[in-house]
Amino acid sequence: MMSVLEFKDVTKIYGKKKALDNLTFSLGENKITGLIGKNGAGKTTMLKIAAGFMRESSGEVKVFGEHPFNNLTVSANMIMIDNDMNLPAALNLGELLETAADFYKKWDMKLARNLLDYFGLDPKQTHNGLSKGMKNTFNAILGLAARCPLTIFDEPTNGMDAGVRKDFYRALLKDYIANPRTIIISSHHLNEVEDILEDILLLKDGKQFLHKPIEELREFAVVVSGKEGAMKNWLRGHEVFHKSDTEFGRTYAVIRNDLSDDQIAAAMKNSLEFSTISNEDLCLYLTSQEKGGIDDVFNKG
Amino acid sequence: MMPVRGGAGLILNSDSMKPIYVQIAEWLETEILSGSIKRDEKVYSQYQLAEMLNINPATAAKGLNILADENIVYKKRGLGMFVSEDAKKMIMAKRRNQTLKLLVAELVREAEHLQVTEEELIQMIQEAKRDLKGDT
Repeated sequence: MMSVLEFKDVTKIYGKKKALDNLTFSLGENKITGLIGKNGAGKTTMLKIAAGFMRESSGEVKVFGEHPFNNLTVSANMIMIDNDMNLPAALNLGELLETAADFYKKWDMKLARNLLDYFGLDPKQTHNGLSKGMKNTFNAILGLAARCPLTIFDEPTNGMDAGVRKDFYRALLKDYIANPRTIIISSHHLNEVEDILEDILLLKDGKQFLHKPIEELREFAVVVSGKEGAMKNWLRGHEVFHKSDTEFGRTYAVIRNDLSDDQIAAAMKNSLEFSTISNEDLCLYLTSQEKGGIDDVFNKG
Repeated sequence: MMPVRGGAGLILNSDSMKPIYVQIAEWLETEILSGSIKRDEKVYSQYQLAEMLNINPATAAKGLNILADENIVYKKRGLGMFVSEDAKKMIMAKRRNQTLKLLVAELVREAEHLQVTEEELIQMIQEAKRDLKGDT
């Protein structure tokens, strides 16, 4: 499968801080990928470099096989929607749509107008006059109607009402089914978007932590809980992503799901319990720095 | 629990131990068992399922592929997937050997916990069966 976006050992340095640290991954054509990571993990930096808005410090970046920075082919085939888009202030929403129509080859004006109408946006309004949620709704419409082979949404639903978020993701899925393209969505709320994703890319400290089909993420980790002493023994030799001790002498741990039958049998014998965890919680634990949690703050003397 | 999506009557549960594609496969099996989708009839395509259930088409395809791997449906090139001749038989055999066995094991374990005797348990099963018949 052709890869639309390729990062190879990409590093980006701001002052002394490494925002991206030898980041390597590639995205296949026509997939919807969820980009996940804590604030400061490098998501927006990665997206801005992919979009050609910013240059990498070192490494190799390719979009449609070309270097994206200052590249017309890339900018004509790519759209990045984020919370601080600079749109010409002198134009109203209707005129902004006309401008976008001139620039993007596959622009669908009918879809744009219908969505504008559905979400209650008046073409005569100006972008500046909109609330944050309405601004992001308009931006999201631009992102959908542009039908770009590479479409990037960076936190697209900030400020939107719950109903609008749902409608937006449904519109995105429907339009994707009718017009497949490569889509990246970064979001803090994995649970509201996970069902429409095919792959998930998780960044941690500017590096790729995990990149796999979302259905496999579920099988990546498992939750074990039980009495503190029994857990302590059993957990030895396991890769623990998160561990917390509760006040009732019980330990709760999220570990890599690579258990042998013997290990499972030993856990059962010690009355340890297995359970699953939502993908959103799992990602939180995978990307947290400490192996403790908020409870530890209160347990400190 | 997620709300009912689409008009298909399938409730997808994101918190379930079962991945969504497994839930889809099981739902399609139930549709075949109940006769909603008959032998040699076309099964929903991955894109129809994706729209109906608001999920990624790749996830829907995974659900369909489980059925194809088990020969419950067969592929016709360019036309889609169709219900196999022995689909019902295969699903029934599979569910008897897997799902039902597990349920019974769980039932027996719980009965042990509660010190329910074998006779009592059998009586309870017979009562439940009578109730079920009374309902329909």
